[in-house]
Parts: sequence; C-alpha cells; structure tokens
Amino acid sequence: MRLCFVFLQKEFAVRQEVIILAEATAIRTPVSNAVEINELLRRYGVKFGIYKNGVFKEQLFPFDPIPRIITAEDFKSIEKGLIQRVDALNKFLFDIYHEKNIIKDNVIPEDFVYISSGYLPQCEGISPVHDIYSHISGIDLVQGKDNEWYILEDNLRIPSGASYPLIARELTRVASPSAFTENDIVDNRNYAKLLKDTMDYVNCGGINAILTPGRYNAAYFEHSYLAELTGSVLVQNDELFVEDNILYHKTYTGGKAKIGALYRRISDEYLDPLTFEPSSLIGIPNLMEAYRSGNVAIINAPGNGVADDKGIYYFVPKMIKYYLGEEPILKNAPTYLPFYDEDREYVLENLGKLVIKDVAEAGVYGVVFGSDLSEEKLEEFKNTILREPRRFIAQEVIDFLDLPILDNGEQVMRKADLRAFVLSGATTRVWASGLTRFSRNPDSFVVNSSQGGGFKDTWVLSR
Amino acid sequence: MGTISIEHGDRLFWLGRYTERVFTTLKSLERVYDMTLDGNADCYKQYLSAFGLSDCGDADTFFRSYIFDKKKPGSVAHSLERAYDNGIVLREEISTEALSFLQMAMDKLEKSSESTQGLLLALLPMEDILFGFWGCISDYIYDREILTIIRCGKSVERLDLYLRLKYPWRMINLEFERLCRHLQNVPKNSPYRYNTKHLSVLAELMGMGEDYTERADEAIISVGRLFETV
Repeated sequence: MRLCFVFLQKEFAVRQEVIILAEATAIRTPVSNAVEINELLRRYGVKFGIYKNGVFKEQLFPFDPIPRIITAEDFKSIEKGLIQRVDALNKFLFDIYHEKNIIKDNVIPEDFVYISSGYLPQCEGISPVHDIYSHISGIDLVQGKDNEWYILEDNLRIPSGASYPLIARELTRVASPSAFTENDIVDNRNYAKLLKDTMDYVNCGGINAILTPGRYNAAYFEHSYLAELTGSVLVQNDELFVEDNILYHKTYTGGKAKIGALYRRISDEYLDPLTFEPSSLIGIPNLMEAYRSGNVAIINAPGNGVADDKGIYYFVPKMIKYYLGEEPILKNAPTYLPFYDEDREYVLENLGKLVIKDVAEAGVYGVVFGSDLSEEKLEEFKNTILREPRRFIAQEVIDFLDLPILDNGEQVMRKADLRAFVLSGATTRVWASGLTRFSRNPDSFVVNSSQGGGFKDTWVLSR
Repeated sequence: MGTISIEHGDRLFWLGRYTERVFTTLKSLERVYDMTLDGNADCYKQYLSAFGLSDCGDADTFFRSYIFDKKKPGSVAHSLERAYDNGIVLREEISTEALSFLQMAMDKLEKSSESTQGLLLALLPMEDILFGFWGCISDYIYDREILTIIRCGKSVERLDLYLRLKYPWRMINLEFERLCRHLQNVPKNSPYRYNTKHLSVLAELMGMGEDYTERADEAIISVGRLFETV
C-alpha cells in the first residue's frame, strides 16, 4: 500500500513537472527525469570544489532541467556579434603589446590601459602564434525584457564552465531522449573538437597539455574532463620544466616530452615565478622565456587581463569601430565612466539608480547597487567617485528576463546569465551552446555556483 | 595517448592496489561473516590477527568498522576513498566512464550502511560495481603501459592480502603467475621494473606448494619490496 502511494506521488510529481516545463519554455517536448539527470551528473563526478572555513569540500553543481532556449535567428545574430567582438579584442591585445595605435589615436586614454592590473609589461613585444591572444573567450550576456541581448562582461583570461553544459547534454540525451527527437536542437557535443582544433592550430610542435593547479582547485572537474575529451595530458607544474627555452613534460620512465600548446588554468601572476609573482608555487620557472621564443603556445596568452578589465569594457564598441570599421552588433549594458566630465555628472546625479563597479575588483566583488545605499552612504560614495573617478564604472541596471527554474518541483523565476564560449583558431567560432547560470535566491543577481546557484543547458534551436 | 608523469604513474599503481584492496577485503569479510552464521562468533579475531590488529570488542563492531568506517585504515570504506582519490586525478587516463564506477561504489557503500537487509545481500552489488570498473578499465584504456601499471598494482595487492590471510597455495600461485605476466610488459626504465632478488624469493616460495605458509612473512616482505630500486 505504501509502495503504491509513493509510486503515485512520484508519478504525479513527474506529470506536474512535465506540464510546468512545457508551459515554461513553449517547446514541443520538455526534458523529463530531472532527478535521474542529477544522479547521473553525480555518478560522473560533475562537481566543483569550494573552501568553507579553510576546509576543501566538493559539491554537486545543481542542474536545472528547463533549458534556456535561443532561437536560430537570435543565435545567428549573437554569433555574428560575438565573433566581431572577440576579433576586435584580439586585435586590441596585439596592438596594446606592440604599436599601441589605439592609444596614439586617442580612442582609449592610456590611463585605462597602463593602470589596469591586467596589463603586464612583461608581455610587451611578444607575439603569440598567429597573433591570437584570446583563444577561448567566455563572454557573459543577459537578455533584456525588450529581448535585446547585452554584453555584461568579457572573460579573456581563463574562462571556465563549458564542461558543465557539455556533459549535462550528454546525460540529458540518455535520460530524456524524446526531448531531443521532438525538438530541433543544435548538437553541442563538438566543444572538445573546437578546443582541440584551437590547440592544434597554435601548437608549436609537441603534445597538447592542460595545466591545472591541482585536485583542490574549484574547476578541477573541468580540467580533467577537457583533458580526457581532447586527448591532452593533464599536468601540474612539478611535472614540467624548461630547458633551452623549450617546455617539457617529465615522464615516469625518466624521459621528457615537448609541449607545443599549454592550456593553462592558472592565473597570469602565478605562471612563472621568474617573471611574475616570485612566491608562486604553482608556476613553471622560465615558462615565459619558452613562450617568448615561440616554442610553446600559452592558451590563453598572458596579459589578456588588460582587455577584460571592467574599465576597458566601456571601450569595446569603440575598438570594434576602430579595428574592424564596423558598427557593434551586440550592445554593452549602458555604461558611464566618471573619468569623463559628462559621464561623471550623470553618475553623480543618478547614483541611486545605477550599479557601480570597482574596476580593480574581480567578479561580483566591488559591485554596489545605488538603490541599496542610504542617503548618507550615497553621499559618501559620490565623494569617493570624485576623489577616484578612474576607479569606477557605472551602469544602468538592465531589466533582464528572468528564467524559469524548478525549485522542489515548483516553477519559480530567477535571474540568469549566459556565458557564451568563443574559440579562436584558424577561424573564430562560437560554440552553439553555453553555460546558463541562475541565482538560487529570488531577487538576487548573484549567479555564482559558490552562492548556491545552479546551471542549465542552453539549447540553440536549429530552425 | 600522451605521456605519463611520475605522479600519475604512482597513482595508477595505487589505484590498482586500492581497488583490489576494496574487493579482496569485501570478499574476505564476507567469508568471515558467513562463518559467524554457524555460531563461530570469534572467527573475526583470526582476521584481525592476520594483520597484527587487536580485538575491537565484538563481531558486530568489527564488521561495521571494517566495512563502513572511513577512518579505519584497511576498511572497505577507507580503501575505497583512497581509490577514488587516486582515480579522480586520472580521469584522462582511465576515462570518465571508469571513474563513475568508483563514485557508484561509494554511493552504494553509503546506502548499504543504512540498509536493514542482511549485510551480505546489501554488499553484493559492490562486487558487481568493481567488476564493472575493471571491465571498463580493460575496455577503455588502449595504452598498454597504463594498463600494465594498474594491473601490477592490483596483482601486488591481491598477492599481499592472500599471503597475509593464508589463502590456499593454488590461488596464490595463480596470482603470482599473473603478476609475472604483467611484469613482462613493464618498460625497462619504468619504476615498476621488478627487483630480481625479490622476484626470485617469491618464485622460490611458490615452489614450496602449500608449505609456503612457513615462510609467508618473507613472501610478504618480498611483495612489498618488489619494485625497490637495485
């Protein structure tokens, strides 16, 4: 009797889930078996690590079965816009570390370049293979209620997250096959091939390797999964050495194998203790010399931080016009630089409705919503802006579309963004998918996984 | 396939050892448990003495701690965690598919600890999962060196446990012959190149037939030092 009751209860929940999904997304057949998909994700070790009170813990990245849908038409335009943006950013990086024409031509004030913590003088004059700096670009977008897509942020250093929708798609196809027979979805399982093509294209002769800080890094699952899928060797710094400006991998038989492309998943400052942070214990001494000599491609190139700085973001549309002679296809969120008199005036007058970002801080740190500040705090902030106008940018708060998620079987609306992945090799290509992250808490804009947020698959429709 | 680093070589070896330790420990504990069903409540003490361990109180405490206690070295749970710790950094060598069996085994063991079914019945699927893991390893790994290192680890561990638990000579000898076949595939400069002296000792002891037990301690030492550099 009890068994029967449990069964009926489960059946009801599943049917209810299906109805909710269909209503939420207007797709022909929704994803079913959400519980089973999350169990499969657990089985395949789809986890991320976090430190709580100094203790490392691995936890599952909760998957929501309602996909984000991008129509074929929308994707076409996004794709075009992203390729344009990343191409311009790559040209900007080359220019900044060589001729600096964009500064000479007064398109970008030099203050914004040289003060940026992402600008690395050690990279001056180095030309990466095929002049590609950002091989893997993670561009964060949101869709406004007017259906317009806005760029929130460019991530050109070590953007992460592609592996999650990649494996989720694989497992969803197993658990819910009808969703894929009944809907026209572009297959996204080519990410590893795109990545491998990119690595091969810039490879300077030798094996492809992925450099991880180790098992206790938050994104370790991704490092190891991408190594497996691309056939790269997953390495840590103590397995690598540079000899005669060539990067080698030490083998267990005492031999060495030349590395031609190193997809590093550690930050610039820790890459080479002889060039950057001397106290780095996860870097490889003389790696920059091997790179400078053209013996190894570093993916992404060191020094990219100058182009994804919050202050530089403002200038990306100008870069597109400057380098490509084109009008930007994708819009930035309306942004103001207090550095400019006119913008500063506007920011000070409208601070209460703007979101202010400290350009020196990464991610969600240093982000303040004016509406959350008291009168007193607003005045205090205005004075800080007047004192240090270069330090901040201000943006209009975009009224963006919330997406439906399932929360204990109930459909609720939550803030979500989209990280699109753009791979630059022989050509610039946009992965027909992306990582959609959502906030767990209502009214929260924080979609970070460490704050309890989860992820969705992103379906690009083929027609 | 790419190159194998020293660390990964070491982890492959210990992955083989720990997965085998889980399996043989399970099988041995099942055998001891079976004996207790006939009223031989103290037979677990023989198991403990084979490893030089002191009595833990009673049979129930023994079984629960040597199966489920993650903090107890030599327990199934402890060995499984160590196997997983090694496996997780070997994803690109052993495959996501193979790694998933270790996760499944951990989940199964956790669920078994709450089970009200008979202990043996609850643990039986663990063996299926481990067979699945090894099948997956054999099927997915094309690199002979990687397979050889894992298999050497597995074989060394089985031999070590069989010797300690005084398994019948026939079973030990079969495992020894299997280990010798794996050793033939080890490249010359590999850290898993056997130490001739210790391999000879083992061969000699295997020649003693069932009397090997007289010199079992010597055999255990030689197994432990099989890859010692000359």
